[in-house]
Amino acid sequence: MTKRLIYGLISLSVLLAGCATIDTASKNSRLDVIKNRGVLRCGVSGKIPGFSFLDGDGQYKGLDVDICKAMAAAFIGDPTKVQYRPLTAPERFTALKTGEIDLLSRNTTFNLSRDAYQGNGLTFAPIVFHDGQGFMVKKQSRIEKINQLKNSDICVGSGTTTEQNLNDEFQRLGMAYRPIKYQDLNQVIAGYLQGRCKAMTSDKSQLAAARSSFSNPNEHLILNKTISKEPLAPASIGGDQRLSDAMRWVIFALFRAEELGINQNNIYEKLNEAKTNQNLSSLRRFLGVDGEIGQKLGLPNDFVVRIIRSTGNYAEIYERHLGPNSNVHIPRGQNNSYLNGGLLISPPFK
Amino acid sequence: MKFIKKNLNLFSLKRWIRNKPVDFIVTMFLMLLILWVATLIVSWFILEANWNVVSDNLDLYAIGSYPADQKWRPMIWMLSLSTLTIITLTWRRKGILQKSLPWIWILMLPSGLVLMAGGPGLIPVASHKWGGLALTLILALSSAFIAMPLGILLALGRRSKLAIIKYSCGIYIDSMRSVPLIAILFFGQLLIPLFLPVEFDINRVVRAILAFAVFAAAYVAEDVRGGLQAIPKTQVEAAEALGLNPKQIAILIMLPQALRTAIPALTNQAIGLLQNTSLMAILGLVELLGISRSLLANPNFMGRYLEVYVWIAAVYWLICTSMALLARRLEQELDPNILTIKSNEISN
Repeated sequence: MTKRLIYGLISLSVLLAGCATIDTASKNSRLDVIKNRGVLRCGVSGKIPGFSFLDGDGQYKGLDVDICKAMAAAFIGDPTKVQYRPLTAPERFTALKTGEIDLLSRNTTFNLSRDAYQGNGLTFAPIVFHDGQGFMVKKQSRIEKINQLKNSDICVGSGTTTEQNLNDEFQRLGMAYRPIKYQDLNQVIAGYLQGRCKAMTSDKSQLAAARSSFSNPNEHLILNKTISKEPLAPASIGGDQRLSDAMRWVIFALFRAEELGINQNNIYEKLNEAKTNQNLSSLRRFLGVDGEIGQKLGLPNDFVVRIIRSTGNYAEIYERHLGPNSNVHIPRGQNNSYLNGGLLISPPFK
Repeated sequence: MKFIKKNLNLFSLKRWIRNKPVDFIVTMFLMLLILWVATLIVSWFILEANWNVVSDNLDLYAIGSYPADQKWRPMIWMLSLSTLTIITLTWRRKGILQKSLPWIWILMLPSGLVLMAGGPGLIPVASHKWGGLALTLILALSSAFIAMPLGILLALGRRSKLAIIKYSCGIYIDSMRSVPLIAILFFGQLLIPLFLPVEFDINRVVRAILAFAVFAAAYVAEDVRGGLQAIPKTQVEAAEALGLNPKQIAILIMLPQALRTAIPALTNQAIGLLQNTSLMAILGLVELLGISRSLLANPNFMGRYLEVYVWIAAVYWLICTSMALLARRLEQELDPNILTIKSNEISN
């Protein structure tokens, strides 16, 4: 009887120990969860023109969506292995925290309280889009400066930094205003067009995108003044170094490929060049011919090749969704590589 | 006819203006207002509205991101659902059809689930690819299917003589009714994953269906309880006198009558449930409303919200109206007065 009990206890404790090790292993990194699952769960908006929207054939498209694809290409090896999860602004952080999604690629502004441990506790990947908040008014209103918006109604999306910036700016100027709040950007636009408010406020890229879709874009004016910095970046849950490192270098790879002139069309040429020419050591390292940059991140050594062949470099992604030939044309401005006077720069792949 | 003539002739119009001038002015003003609004609406429909946001995306509204090569599966299901509705509403029943129709209706849900999810001979399609009207219907039908028996059990439980059953059912019903639906949905979609380990993963559609079901069950229970209370106590006493046991009384005497009485209230619930599925758009399922909101962000269709919302309003109206008609049909079918008339005719 006692013998049985002892055996029982031993086997139970072994079982528990087994569970414990499995548990700690799974807590190590979300990156392994993603790889084992074979599918990346990516939180997107699904409602922002140019960044993420549903195309006529039922597929998600946009800059944010291509970032998800690049991540999936690097982590899993297949850009199509992404499950998109459309999220509203108020629920996005909850979804990340509860593990509903692996990472967030949803026009999210990088700021201190979202990053900090005592705040939302996220970790941000590099900024993929530099934006700033502005105002759009109807030209016939003859408003040209923010000061003229005193005591007027202003349409704004709720639950966003936009709302907060609006409040901060008007408080600073000591002006009263009435916010008219809506759930998402398309409703803000609708409210503005229906004349519910004198001005609408949002990130300037959004304003430009919205204006390009109006029937008479020339009747609307985007005020010069930018009242905030809105650096938009993908995010993951904080305290998971392996996942956040992997995400960071996937984004940098997109920038670096643009700097080196590597794109979807010439990636195999460049790869061959790197394989045959021993002297191109930095290119060889970047494309995973030499060295172990991928392995250090827990990714395949050729992860850069996998990314570029599926989505292209950053410039190609930008051109596809926000370039002059797209429906939502936003001039590149700050979102150019540092080589062309923009703000995008990649640290060395060493 | 006489009445119209009398009112329309010029003489009485003059008399009307003379005798009741305010009356006349108000009437004319309102008629002009109605006319003006009507012309605005009609001219919008014909001149301004650009319906290609609807016509180009019919597939998306119907099935969402369902794989294109498999789209016949949800399409066939929805087509058979609408055919069945038309048959039920228009055909006179006799013999086999009369007997098989309820079974065909009950089989619609499992066959729909098999067609959507995949089964023998069909490629499995993960539920995160479901969308559009098909998802709306699946959500509403499946949760109604669970909520109905659960609600009946709760209603019977609340009338139980055993204190534990009585009070636990009562507490369940009252607590469910005091929580807003959106809170339960939020709980199901965002908080349940927090309690479960990362590897353990319940399908989001299933979670939504369960959340709707546990919520609707509380309301169904109260509707059924209303039906139960409409039955005179003497019937129970008579059944007891005949020697029926409590189970038999519930199944043979109480429930058939109670459910019949509760049909109008239950129809309300069903229609409400279907419309409530649109709340899932906020929680990121791309059902009919969700897919419409995503489409509005497509640069090709930006700012066309009016057309889109008018269109999905029409779709919801069509579905809810057919549900109401089906329920009325069922009421007529089960109407005890019609049955007695028929039996009288036979005996005569």
